[in-house]
Amino acid sequence: MTFEDLLSLGPLFNICGAAVLCMLLVAIWRNHRLIYYVTLVAFALALMSVVPVATLLPHTIAPLIVIDMFALFNSGAIVGSGLIIVLLSYNYFEEREERKEEYYLLLLLATAGALVLVISRHFMSFFLGLEMLSISLYGLIAYLRARQRSDEAGIKYLILAALSSAFLLFGMALVYGFTGHMDFPGIGAYLRQAGTFPLPVIAGFGLMLIGIGFKLGIVPFHMWAPDIYEGAPLPVAAFVATISKGGVLVVLIRFYQDIDGRNYTMLWWILAITAIASMFVGNLLALTQQNIKRMLAYSSIAHLGYLLVAFLSDTQSGLEAIAFYLTAYFPTSIGAFGVLIVMSSSVQDAETVEDYRGLFWRYPWVALVFTVMLLSLAGIPLTAGFIGKFYIVMAGVDGHHWFLLLMLVINSVIGLYYYMRVVAMMFRTTDTSQRIFIKPSLPLAGNITLGLIVMLLVGLGVYPTAMMQLIQQMMTLIK
Amino acid sequence: MGVFFYITAAIAVFSTAMVVTRFNIMHALLYLIVSLLSVAVIFYLYGAPYMASLEIIVYAGAIMVLIIFFVMMLNLGPESTRLEKQWLKPGMWMVPALFCVILLGELVYLIAQNHTPVTGIKEVPPKAVGRSLFGPYILAVELSAMLLMAGIVGAYHLGRQQPKTLHRFLQSKPS
Repeated sequence: MTFEDLLSLGPLFNICGAAVLCMLLVAIWRNHRLIYYVTLVAFALALMSVVPVATLLPHTIAPLIVIDMFALFNSGAIVGSGLIIVLLSYNYFEEREERKEEYYLLLLLATAGALVLVISRHFMSFFLGLEMLSISLYGLIAYLRARQRSDEAGIKYLILAALSSAFLLFGMALVYGFTGHMDFPGIGAYLRQAGTFPLPVIAGFGLMLIGIGFKLGIVPFHMWAPDIYEGAPLPVAAFVATISKGGVLVVLIRFYQDIDGRNYTMLWWILAITAIASMFVGNLLALTQQNIKRMLAYSSIAHLGYLLVAFLSDTQSGLEAIAFYLTAYFPTSIGAFGVLIVMSSSVQDAETVEDYRGLFWRYPWVALVFTVMLLSLAGIPLTAGFIGKFYIVMAGVDGHHWFLLLMLVINSVIGLYYYMRVVAMMFRTTDTSQRIFIKPSLPLAGNITLGLIVMLLVGLGVYPTAMMQLIQQMMTLIK
Repeated sequence: MGVFFYITAAIAVFSTAMVVTRFNIMHALLYLIVSLLSVAVIFYLYGAPYMASLEIIVYAGAIMVLIIFFVMMLNLGPESTRLEKQWLKPGMWMVPALFCVILLGELVYLIAQNHTPVTGIKEVPPKAVGRSLFGPYILAVELSAMLLMAGIVGAYHLGRQQPKTLHRFLQSKPS
């Protein structure tokens, strides 16, 4: 290991080091505030350590890891989102659980897993990253032991994630057995040389797709999403919706690129059908949800469908669209869960649509923030979500995939309905004497964080040029 | 050589099918051990003695012990002792034991014959495995450490306290 290797792994080392430090701190002196600040500092340091890496790129640490512009950009996005989630977590856990320190430890390790995924270019690091992510999530999802349904959600995720990992692993074994390579470029080179797909390799790719599809939560592997979102603590649900899915998507993009996925029409069609099904199933099932957590779960399924449309356009602008969409989607989604966090009381999560009836007349600031989040999720102009969706449409036009675009537009319209339903509910006048509302905790840190997210989203929506330029520079994958 | 492979493979397939179809977990466990042992013999047959020993140490050894611990912790009181006696009828352990004897016979014969593995296979000694684990793959080893830490911390937190609520299907209906 040279000095450059260490420097280029800066974000990962920061997060892993902080996890070890937190473990020792928990052993010596349990203190929620202390662990919280250590975690915050670790995330901030990791975010800062992204910057010096840019001078070393592209950097390969054979055979497991490659750090290129694309990986670096996504590392930054993951660490930044993790920072926001930590900021929103303190009050939520302070009010609920008697032992909160392990949460930060597991959150750090899960983030480290996502960081490994982003820089992996080898089955081994891919699988290790994925398992770090999902094993930490088992603990995180079931974290609030006193809560109803948390055990159910945890066990459901444990069984399904373990099963999907088994599929993924068996697929990898088949691919390795017949190509003799575990690194992505090696597999690509073998397939180019062979000219055809041997049958076991096709089977292997199919099995791997099941594993990846589960982690992305795309149709038909989406069944777990609503139950997990409902049962998990809110910050963890935000983590599952953003970081965990983003990390896996990045590996999928890298793998597709390295094996020249565009040359195989069959693979393209499978992914296209998955994308269309994800959009429709996600949006249609979200229409009737009365529980906002479940609605956000279905909406995240649909959003992954939109992302796959950009992915399938297979152009440079498609890559840029994915990067911009993720940059917009991460804070939007975390912000939406953040509103749920600040609106929840210490006994009950504010999760039904009814809890938000007439919110504007009671807490205008929170209602305004939530409106911005929902508008951004729906893709209304002046928010980051709009620019993201616009970018995806542009990528689709570049790739001439008119049918996929038509599906995307239809689904955007369907999506509008259920986001607007919540917004309309918040502005409805209500007779407060009839109903007892949840008394929200409204922590100061949470409100400030939400304010920053709103500024970021509106800023990106009004003036996206700076971000676009950054993305255009960063979207180079190593060959 | 071919004969040995077919005998071992047949034992592996049969005992794995028995694992899936047994009603009692301990009986399934006996067959699972046989299945893992036969896979180890196949590894040995094809010139991977190190893999074979790892298979036995890790799977037939460590993981089996974990499952037995788990079953031990679940069992309580004299009721379970009576059940255990019931489970340990000769009919239950005779077949797996017979398979084990066959596998052992094969192994002893192969060692005594000083058998040479199939040509074209490179033997990987433990030293080479260690060298590559702590050489190019050192990062993977360190990441595995993080992975285990996540598992231990998660298990520690979840196992620490009694769950305060039942699954919603098990709760008694509010009257």
